[in-house]
Amino acid sequence: MGMTMGDTQAAVAEKAGIGPMTARSAEGLNAARISIRGLDFFYGTNKALKSISLDVPEKQVTGMIGPSGCGKSTLLRVLNRMYDLYPGQRATGEVMMDGQNIIAPGIDLNQLRSRIGMVFQKPTPFPMSIYDNIAFGVKLHERLSKSAMDERVEWSLTRAALWGEVKDRLNASATGLSGGQQQRLCIARTIATRPEVILLDEPTSALDPISTLKIEELIDELKHEFTIVIVTHNMQQAARCADQVAFFFIGELVEVGPAAQIFTSPRQKRTQEYITGRFG
Amino acid sequence: MSATTIGGGMTAPARDPRVAGLLSRRRQRANLAVKALCIAATVVGLVVLASILFTLIRLGIGGLRLSVFTRMTMPAGDNGGLLNPIVGSLIQTGIGTLIGTPIGIMVGTYLSEYARNSVLGNAVRFVSDVLLSAPSILIGLFIYQVFVNGRGYSGIAGALSLAVIMIPIVVRTTEDMLRLIPTALREAAVALGAPKWKAIVLICYRAALDGIATGVLLAIARVAGETAPLLFTSLGNDNWSIDLTKPMASLPLAIYKYAGSPADDWVQLAWVGAMLITFGVLALNIIARVAIRPRR
Repeated sequence: MGMTMGDTQAAVAEKAGIGPMTARSAEGLNAARISIRGLDFFYGTNKALKSISLDVPEKQVTGMIGPSGCGKSTLLRVLNRMYDLYPGQRATGEVMMDGQNIIAPGIDLNQLRSRIGMVFQKPTPFPMSIYDNIAFGVKLHERLSKSAMDERVEWSLTRAALWGEVKDRLNASATGLSGGQQQRLCIARTIATRPEVILLDEPTSALDPISTLKIEELIDELKHEFTIVIVTHNMQQAARCADQVAFFFIGELVEVGPAAQIFTSPRQKRTQEYITGRFG
Repeated sequence: MSATTIGGGMTAPARDPRVAGLLSRRRQRANLAVKALCIAATVVGLVVLASILFTLIRLGIGGLRLSVFTRMTMPAGDNGGLLNPIVGSLIQTGIGTLIGTPIGIMVGTYLSEYARNSVLGNAVRFVSDVLLSAPSILIGLFIYQVFVNGRGYSGIAGALSLAVIMIPIVVRTTEDMLRLIPTALREAAVALGAPKWKAIVLICYRAALDGIATGVLLAIARVAGETAPLLFTSLGNDNWSIDLTKPMASLPLAIYKYAGSPADDWVQLAWVGAMLITFGVLALNIIARVAIRPRR
């Protein structure tokens, strides 16, 4: 908990506009973990994303904003190939991660999804105990002894800032938790499989302000270990959480840049209008 | 509410408080009337059900003796029991359930999870729904034609005909219950890297367990009392037989045979049999409900 040395340095470096130890651009963004190039997405014949190119910086938070139906969630669902569940949806272009195009055919989807986790808008606890909710995802990819699994459950619940609230009732049903606790459980469940990237699809839109605050603090903690992409309708949330902000409008990426720049001096008129509440 | 001025001097239409009061009173009366009709309909339904149960108990309880469970069916006047029909019914319903439930659940899963809008899925759903409303005597004739003919009447033929009746019921409830599972729950499982079949088996089935189990119970309750499909399949048997390849007794067939007979002790046994089926199904329901609840 609290700020680490690296943090302080990064913050200072960001303010000064100079890169710290890691490969960081002049704008304070890390090297890309995922590189999207010329991505088109279709729902049947309807083109929902038009030639998107975007870098997702490693171990930082990329916030995606824009009015409803602009393609933010669609892009998120491309990154873990969720669209594959639905015939008629398809993506073309490049989404490069570790030298591999993850939207190409022949990719092991189950393995990809263990590397790129996702948390949904509404909490989706499985109808089983809190412990089993966490163990479910882990068991899909690893064989752990009972004690190792216990450790993993505690580790992920601690990371998700939920351990203290549930440690005495790990065998209670997860559906009995409050909405905010359920969402933190879903985050714990996702990080328990130790992904590299976490996708958050409006994770706080169904939550009260206090739960929202807890999750935002959590995102701040998690970005030291994970690369995070968050879709949000809440401008303040994007400003508070994100290092990089991408503004989408009707299937196009209008503008992308460091959060501070997007919110203080956007280059595009539409971005300016959207963040000042003129539409959307 | 008084008239309010909006924009360019336009006046919002005023509301007459007397008309509003009249409409409100009319709605309240309509509300009361509908409520009264609903309650009356419920009472009528419950009275019919209660009188069936009451008649069963009134006419059946007098014949309920230990010998019912320990003695075979006998000629009238020989103090017979219902041992062979009880055991026969348990065997045929049990085997029918073991055959029909997995097939029904798998077809329902196919319809809900794999073939939601496909042509084949729609065709299967249509056929299953037709089968659901097919008269059970037709099912009996079908099994007679394809299975009994040439082999002879047998317990397994009876079980098969009961399974065929169960399948469309289980298909329908399984599909309906799985469709109620939110897409987000499936996606959440898949997003963790679960293959589709694991998401279905480990998450969807668990979430829909209650409903699917209720469907299976409904199907068991339905076939436990079926008589027509057993007439030309397992035929009935007045001797002790648990050989599946031989004709087998069953409670509905015993009731069918005894209820219309002139012998008083047979009529009495028919009522006892009817009461046993009814309370057997009731007990099954209660046990299943108690067994399912703690897991949620």
